[in-house]
Amino acid sequence: MPIVVNLDVIMAKRKISSGELAEKIGISQANLSILKTGKAKAIRFSTMEAICKSLDCQPGDILEYQEPDEV
Amino acid sequence: MWNREKSITLSKLCILIFLGLLLAVVVSAPWLTHWFVNFSQAGLQGDQSYFLATIYVGFIPAVYLLYSMLGLLRRIDAGRVFVAENVELLRRISWSCFLGAVIALVSVFYYFPWFFVAVAAAFMGLIVRVLKNVFAQAVELKNEADYTV
Repeated sequence: MPIVVNLDVIMAKRKISSGELAEKIGISQANLSILKTGKAKAIRFSTMEAICKSLDCQPGDILEYQEPDEV
Repeated sequence: MWNREKSITLSKLCILIFLGLLLAVVVSAPWLTHWFVNFSQAGLQGDQSYFLATIYVGFIPAVYLLYSMLGLLRRIDAGRVFVAENVELLRRISWSCFLGAVIALVSVFYYFPWFFVAVAAAFMGLIVRVLKNVFAQAVELKNEADYTV
């Protein structure tokens, strides 16, 4: 998929673990893992809002469009 | 109290009864066809071997269909309803019905009432095929829902 999830990059910058973030945004670690590994097919606005609030970032920092041959 | 488990158990029981009936028909086919040919007023003397051939060939898709239905019920019982395997099973069930319809249609040449069996089997195959398409769509929707975070 040409949409790349850069959540792990932002998490590393903020020095926050998966468990901690999952707890803060109120989703399971399994779902957070789906998001981090790029397996997710969609993300709810409420989840995005919680992530941006917790990591103090913008949606564009987490999601990035790349041409298919670049991925 | 009636519940989902009991309903599935009843369905399984019905399939096993049909399986038993099917085996009984196949085992007793020589006597059954002999009796039918003599009993019938349609002048079927000499057609007994055709009847036997139809029953024996038709047994294959029929037993496969019942076995597939048991597999489908087993998965539903385990809570795995909208999965790709069930779509595949429904596809196979549908094709078994169509195969049964073809066998019955071929048998029309010696006994016309097989035509009604052919139409019924083809119609059943069509219904299962539509059901398969609905299941395939449901599997896609479920996958999307499962991977929405």
